[in-house]
Amino acid sequence: MASSSAVSERRGIPGASFVEDVQIYLTQSGLDANSALSFLQERLQQYKLVEMRLLAQQRDLQAKIPDIEKCLDIVATLQVKKGTGEALIADFEVSEGIYSRACIEDTDSVCLWLGANVMLEYSCEEAVALLQKNLENARASLEVLVGDLQFVRDQVTVTQVTIARVYNWDVHQRRSRQAASTTPKES
Amino acid sequence: MQQGGGSETEVTWEDQQNINKFGRLNNRFHELEDEIRIAKETNENLEDASNELILTDEEVVRFQIGEVFTHMSKEEVESKIEQMQEVTSKNLEKLEEEKDSMLAQMAELKKILYGKFKDSINLEED
Repeated sequence: MASSSAVSERRGIPGASFVEDVQIYLTQSGLDANSALSFLQERLQQYKLVEMRLLAQQRDLQAKIPDIEKCLDIVATLQVKKGTGEALIADFEVSEGIYSRACIEDTDSVCLWLGANVMLEYSCEEAVALLQKNLENARASLEVLVGDLQFVRDQVTVTQVTIARVYNWDVHQRRSRQAASTTPKES
Repeated sequence: MQQGGGSETEVTWEDQQNINKFGRLNNRFHELEDEIRIAKETNENLEDASNELILTDEEVVRFQIGEVFTHMSKEEVESKIEQMQEVTSKNLEKLEEEKDSMLAQMAELKKILYGKFKDSINLEED
């Protein structure tokens, strides 16, 4: 393969080697233009699949983060109410369009839904700490994911440019061959 | 990207990196446009809520936190809304700044890439 000045892979995703010279690339790989093009197209499809997967993960994380922030909001509201001795009155949805009223007394603990049908009781402070940690983890994961997406998109761009160059090279070759095969007739 | 008709211009690694960078900027630009639209909508909603609040004569207002509507006094809700408006406005400002920076960088790259490749490259929105 022609020299690559790029990162060779990132977290399991192979990097697309940059082709310095199309002629050398084709000679070294022993492929003709059409085979090279099919190979590159296949690589492109694989990258696109990875991109789809990462986008789905990104959407999940982007939905999770506001959820955690809302939880933190509620716990903060409960903590504020704690000092006053008043109960917090809240309307919550029982079913679509039907609401019920809850009277939440002064409390030191909250229950957090951990997923997988598990709910645990925590003190308000512990709950805030746990939610904060989850929020930080989610944000960190999102950052890594965005980095992965940028990497994959770069590889897609490199592959697309390589496809265009191989195609152009092939067109150029055909034209040269045509020009070379017609000139002898003129002599 | 357009395929040139067998053009001669060689693509260097630096060119490739510029093209990659343009792609990244373009993607981020579209994301920013969406984020800015959402931030503007949120601002409008907060404005509407604040106006409704002034008009109402009820003392207890149901304010949404998470999935529930908590009963709060009008003053508490007013200050909450003000806080949220401040956060959203700051965020909107930051996003607009980022968008302007993106546009400037993209214009710069367009100059460089069109300069070298002219018709062989297409950097416009379809």
